[in-house]
Amino acid sequence: MRTNRTFVLGAAVLALVVSACTPGEGDSPAASAGGESQAADLPSLTIGSAGFWESAVVAEIYAQALEDAGFTVERDLELGARDVTHPALVDGQIDLMPEYIGGYLAVTYGGEPTPDIEESLTALRTELEADGLVAFEPTPGTDADGFAVRQETADDLGLATMTDLAEVAGDLTWGVAQECAENPNCGPGLERVYGIDFASLDVETLAACSTAIAEALNAGGSTEDGIDVAQVCTTQPEIAGFNLVLLEDDGGLAPAQNIVPVVRQEIADEAGDLLETTLNAVSVLLTTEELTNLGAAVILNGESYEDAAAQWLEDNGL
Amino acid sequence: MRIDLEWVLENLDRIGELLLEHVYLTALAVGIGLVISFAFALLIRDRPRWYGPIIGGTGILYAIPSLALFALLTPITGLGTVLTAEIALVSYTLLILTRNIVEGLRAVPGDAIEAAAGMGYTRVQRLLRVELPLAMPIIVAGIRIATVSTVGLVTVTALIGLGGLGYLIVTIGTQRGSFGLTATLTGITLAVGLAALADLALLALQRAFTPWARRRTATQ
Amino acid sequence: MIEFLGEVAAWFADPGTWSGRDGIPTRLWEHLWISGISLAGSIAIGLPLGLAIGHTGRGAGAVVAIANVGRAVPSLGLMGLAFLLLLPLGLGVGPLPTIVALIALGIPPIVVNAYVGLREVDRDLVEAARGMGMRGREVLGRVEVPIALPVILAGVRTTAVQIVATATLAAAIGGGTLGQLIYIGFNVGDQVRIFGAALIVAALSIGTELGFAWIQGAAASPGLRGRAYVPVEPAQVGRGGGEATLP
Repeated sequence: MRTNRTFVLGAAVLALVVSACTPGEGDSPAASAGGESQAADLPSLTIGSAGFWESAVVAEIYAQALEDAGFTVERDLELGARDVTHPALVDGQIDLMPEYIGGYLAVTYGGEPTPDIEESLTALRTELEADGLVAFEPTPGTDADGFAVRQETADDLGLATMTDLAEVAGDLTWGVAQECAENPNCGPGLERVYGIDFASLDVETLAACSTAIAEALNAGGSTEDGIDVAQVCTTQPEIAGFNLVLLEDDGGLAPAQNIVPVVRQEIADEAGDLLETTLNAVSVLLTTEELTNLGAAVILNGESYEDAAAQWLEDNGL
Repeated sequence: MRIDLEWVLENLDRIGELLLEHVYLTALAVGIGLVISFAFALLIRDRPRWYGPIIGGTGILYAIPSLALFALLTPITGLGTVLTAEIALVSYTLLILTRNIVEGLRAVPGDAIEAAAGMGYTRVQRLLRVELPLAMPIIVAGIRIATVSTVGLVTVTALIGLGGLGYLIVTIGTQRGSFGLTATLTGITLAVGLAALADLALLALQRAFTPWARRRTATQ
Repeated sequence: MIEFLGEVAAWFADPGTWSGRDGIPTRLWEHLWISGISLAGSIAIGLPLGLAIGHTGRGAGAVVAIANVGRAVPSLGLMGLAFLLLLPLGLGVGPLPTIVALIALGIPPIVVNAYVGLREVDRDLVEAARGMGMRGREVLGRVEVPIALPVILAGVRTTAVQIVATATLAAAIGGGTLGQLIYIGFNVGDQVRIFGAALIVAALSIGTELGFAWIQGAAASPGLRGRAYVPVEPAQVGRGGGEATLP
């Protein structure tokens, strides 16, 4: 019947919409072999992450470790930048997120973190409390914004530290993130700590902390337009991969950028000590070197977050 | 830069997730757009004076670049929310769909309408049983265009923090070392494939609605 | 809402908004010249191609293929691809990948419209012209193109609007333009800037659409102004929605 055909169309569209509803997250590969009787009492959690590989891998590691301990974990990875993840955490859309002390304090709370981890962490914890959040123990590893140059540039100009770079800053083309001019750890920071006049620099904007910017730096030597300095993340595997030189932050521009698991107080209370001890046991092993290795696994070897996380946990006896 | 199928297989889960998100956002937009456009078309059918303003209005929306439209909606519907994205995506489908539905209904032969009146159909019955089925080919043609357009537009939502294939193309594409090119090409291929698949499926649907056309050609 | 609009007005009034690398004038100019060069490039490549195919009538299959691919490949994808391919060559930084992608994006509507426009010219007129002794090029230049001009210009208009609109996305690959202001705004969560910049982009796009519509109307030969030509819809980012319908 003719009428039915119209409804078939409508139903087809509806079915398509419904069937494509809320994509499920990747299944956890690690079966919870322990079969702890506490599993029934432990709250289920949703773990989120920011929109880049490191945050996602660390979140995945936490997720798998918690599953091994008996928790039921859902993942909502790569949500985006802090303006998305922070409200998601506060509202309860996610319960746990790995965050960077300095960045979180400065960008979300407008605080002024320092390279001193204790100071920055205490300040952060105070802010978090007001939002019903708590941060557990930090990782020894850090991932901060840094600046790198090609090996030849470092050799030619004798660059080893940021102070060295500051002297020749005006002669080089800088590759920085689009929002560098407003990031306290970038443009304003370079001025404040190293006296570099950011506004007068020759600047190209690219995605910081990406392969793209490292590649642009690497290729920059062979052409006129190209960058000579790149804003990178200190754990980027591309630094070693392209044989780049990360300049030492001798002026202390970068704040304490250790990672802390940030959890909703409610969930932490419900879950008891097990949550904290499990997470801390993982965090303590995440050194800067380990973070960089994880980066190599995901970026240079193309592994998925799940596999890289599972492998790391296995290698570290967790 | 090399192309690495192994990487695709290794990361299939994540790619699949992004593809599903993309399909969801697309289907939702076209579905809602269809409903609204249909309402517009019926309004225009009864009051033809509304054709100009509606087409003009949706036409202006159509001319605004997607990123800008997302931005304009943001203060009202939130930063990087699905609502913001969907309102914009739906808006972009309105021009094509409304125009095609109106055209489709206008193209219904007068004889058919008279016959329906002669058979004593109410307006609603006439619409559902005579006009719509006859208008279907043109309407579905419009849905095809709208769907292919929307698939492309959804890639832009990655820039405002939503996932989809745009995330694969741009974010993952610039962040995965030598696999970047693979990621970007995979994203593009999936987007084109998705659009092509949707187009073919709708074309089949379009044909299914016009068995008389096939019969006619068969007897020629 | 009123309060918010007040903040937006304040943003426009702030001199800082109009100065510096990410100030409106710098980015607007960048947007315009990148769009202009890309449009010129699309026309330079697409028009001869479309006219050749339309005039000779050969290669229709290629036209269909170009049209379909042009419609289906997402513009952000083209930009990402151009960026990644040029990066190892040391050419990925700056506006070049954006221009390459925009030219690629702009070619299909021009080719398709030139082809369709020429194909629709009454064959009798072409025969008559030949009968008068005109050779191929003359027929093309004196008869076919003038008659097909509205459709050809519709293609140029579609491409122009598409390019201006898509240039906004260049920020994602470091290409700047007005989109940079929106992009930064989203990254730092500055809703005022996002809105303000979007207003400018919207105005620019709508202006381009209207401007080229006027050119299209004004350039049509007076004898043809009354003629109904193939209706074209305004283009949007990356979509070939403005092409003439292929037969």
